[in-house]
Amino acid sequence: MNEMTIDAAMLARMFLAGAKRLESQQAIINELNVFPVPDGDTGTNMTATIMQAAEEVAGEQDASMEVICKSISSGSLRGARGNSGVILSQLLRGFTKVIKKQETVDVPVIADAFEKAVETAYKAVMKPKEGTILTVAKGAAEQARALADNGVEDLDTFFRGVIDYADEVLEKTPDMLPVLKEAGVVDSGGKGLVEVLRGAYDGYLGKGIPFSASAEEEAQEEEERLKYAYCVVLRAVLKQPLNRKQMSDIRSFLASVGDGVRVSDCGDAGISLHIHTDDPGLVLQRALMYGDLREVSVHDIKTEGHIEGPAGEPVTAEALELDSSIIAEEPQVPAEKKPVGFVAVCAGDGMAEIFRSLGCDAVIEGGQTMNPSTDDIIQAAHQVNAETVFILPNNKNIILAADQAKKMCDSENLIVIPTKTMPQGIAALVSFVPDDSPEENETMMKDAITQVSSGEVTYAVRDTVIDGTQIHQGDYMGIGEKGILDVGRDRVEVAADMIGRMMTDGQELISIYYGADVDEQETEKLQSVLSERFPGVDVEMQYGGQPVYAYIASVE
Amino acid sequence: MGRVAIVTDSNSGITQRAAEELGVFVLPMPFRIDNKDYYEDINITQEEFYTLIEAGGEVTTSQPSPAEVQALWDRLLEDHDQIVHIPMSSGLSGSCQSAGMLAESYDGKVEVVDNQRISVTLRRSCIDALELAAGGMNAAQIKAELERTGLDTSIYIMLDTLSYLKRGGRITPAAAAIGSLLKIKPVLQIQGEKLDAFAKARTSAQGKKMMIQAIRNDIERRFGGLDVHDVDIDMAYTRHEDMLLEFREEVAEAFPWAGEIHYDPLSLSVGCHIGPGAIAVTVTKRNHFS
Repeated sequence: MNEMTIDAAMLARMFLAGAKRLESQQAIINELNVFPVPDGDTGTNMTATIMQAAEEVAGEQDASMEVICKSISSGSLRGARGNSGVILSQLLRGFTKVIKKQETVDVPVIADAFEKAVETAYKAVMKPKEGTILTVAKGAAEQARALADNGVEDLDTFFRGVIDYADEVLEKTPDMLPVLKEAGVVDSGGKGLVEVLRGAYDGYLGKGIPFSASAEEEAQEEEERLKYAYCVVLRAVLKQPLNRKQMSDIRSFLASVGDGVRVSDCGDAGISLHIHTDDPGLVLQRALMYGDLREVSVHDIKTEGHIEGPAGEPVTAEALELDSSIIAEEPQVPAEKKPVGFVAVCAGDGMAEIFRSLGCDAVIEGGQTMNPSTDDIIQAAHQVNAETVFILPNNKNIILAADQAKKMCDSENLIVIPTKTMPQGIAALVSFVPDDSPEENETMMKDAITQVSSGEVTYAVRDTVIDGTQIHQGDYMGIGEKGILDVGRDRVEVAADMIGRMMTDGQELISIYYGADVDEQETEKLQSVLSERFPGVDVEMQYGGQPVYAYIASVE
Repeated sequence: MGRVAIVTDSNSGITQRAAEELGVFVLPMPFRIDNKDYYEDINITQEEFYTLIEAGGEVTTSQPSPAEVQALWDRLLEDHDQIVHIPMSSGLSGSCQSAGMLAESYDGKVEVVDNQRISVTLRRSCIDALELAAGGMNAAQIKAELERTGLDTSIYIMLDTLSYLKRGGRITPAAAAIGSLLKIKPVLQIQGEKLDAFAKARTSAQGKKMMIQAIRNDIERRFGGLDVHDVDIDMAYTRHEDMLLEFREEVAEAFPWAGEIHYDPLSLSVGCHIGPGAIAVTVTKRNHFS
């Protein structure tokens, strides 16, 4: 191929192929975790991010460059999950900013677009770190510029040059970030980016798996997705709050009548649920048992979700409009906005209850193993219905998505308190003073999170070396805010030693939030070990119910 | 104008002995604990009181009986022309209202002040009243001054535990607002007539910091950034004086201009609702009566 330009259709094809390639590599990317903990899924996050954009792009037939660019940019910004997902979305936003006004793009324009992408992404990150996806993107952009300046005009040469160089930079990331070197991996986000570029190039060559075509896996997935005819989404304003048991009853009922079940607790706003089912009536009836229904929508997904209509013909925008007219939306009388509300991201039913008991309006289920998207955060903030909504991400990999939500949300004033752990989120929420202004509270909450030190205990999923400590698969690790604090085979010992390292003079309270898999006997043992080891310090054990992390602890 | 007597009740934290020194008269507040009657600072000490309630004793607070109030007034009017009666906040007790009704039959000789004070801030009002009386004001004028300046004060109280607040009926809205699965040290606020939830803390260090900040905010905002010499800081506690003294050092450091900070045990009618181990700090705008 000796093409010198690409048009909108080619851009769409390349983007979809890039998304597809990333998706196919996500498991490998997930493996590139520095910490050998069963979480932090860069591959999953980046894939979820790009897929939201890909779905929008795939829905555009014969669209202009501008429309394709807008789909790529807005879809990925809203779908952004995790830090690498947010950075990817910012790269795409910057990239499309340059090319959206063109009908066709050539090498110099693409080089400009790469540069803009890098500039935009660096700006989105407070403290850009080298040896990450940012460095790989920068390398790609520099190579693109160099090739363009050297008069390279044919795209094939250009793409190959850029990708090879990006790959080279990727291989060097362990030299830039010692944690990567120690763990013996390249940066996972950088790897994800290279895969997107590779996929896009395959798409350019016509080699890539077309996004909406019939790879076996794809077909299976599609079948799975379309096993049921309707997508039901609704919110129920509860007659009375539901306890843990009732919530789990609802989930198991829903699982028995469909799939894709999501039930989230929105605090005062009730519960929201999402399901694919053949019998929306059953779902509605069940939900009515708990309260009044709001924002009910029933979509016919067999036709609507498909890019092709029933007769194999493309579904036009008009037809889609028509389809969505079956949405039975109850006219909602907006309740008066309260001045201040809270959204927290947390994992575990116990944790969610703790956050709610402290006045949190909406809890987004998520955390270490599942990062909510920018859009999830915006939606939760809407539900709170307050002038100012404080967002507590409670995970360092969710803060960027929350910041992005703040920028994209124009109906509420979002304030992100950059809580990296659940105990920090609790400290922030506790320190809230209703009488003070949001700005004053922001200052106080940010201060409060510096007053609490947190740590967590989980297990290693593979052998590795971190901070010079040899870790074997199955070991328990106590991880503090700045790294590994203790490693061992006895979970209670690891937890107690970790807390010992977190303690400093004058601390009064140790809080332990134990996970879903910890039994009472073990928590009692830990309680007595801690009381003995730290006399005069209060020890409070609470059920957190979080997965993966046996203990989340704080001292303050 | 002749002599004006200043009367308050034991919610002012003024003990019978201190009352004599100051030159005011203090009505002891009555209690029932497990069906036995007590009078604050007369036949029950703070120590005895908290020992009883920590053991789960059931406390009912009431107000001085009309007969007790009238007996004191009648005795005082033998050698005074007028009385200024300053009971605890009408938002926290009915004694102000009952005293007001009793005063109606005293032909203007007794003025009942409704200025929403309690504890060390009520004590400040008594001192103001003495000053105003010495300056030659009559009872009605003193009442007007005290009511005009009544709300120029805040009290912040950090509780050791929520359990007493939950036990008592009167302040449940405050308790409800702080309800939580976690152990919380609630910080309450008395501003005007109600005892209300102000904030929450998980450790006493956090709660103390919050109270100091709240006082600072009051000085800057509610009192419009007064000259610090126009502000009084006082403190109060329930049961554990050592905790108060420790906090007093921190407060003195935060407000070095405050001088020697006065403190009292909180009156028992407040103590029974919030339990032992509470510490309080108050800020009151100092009055310059012309």
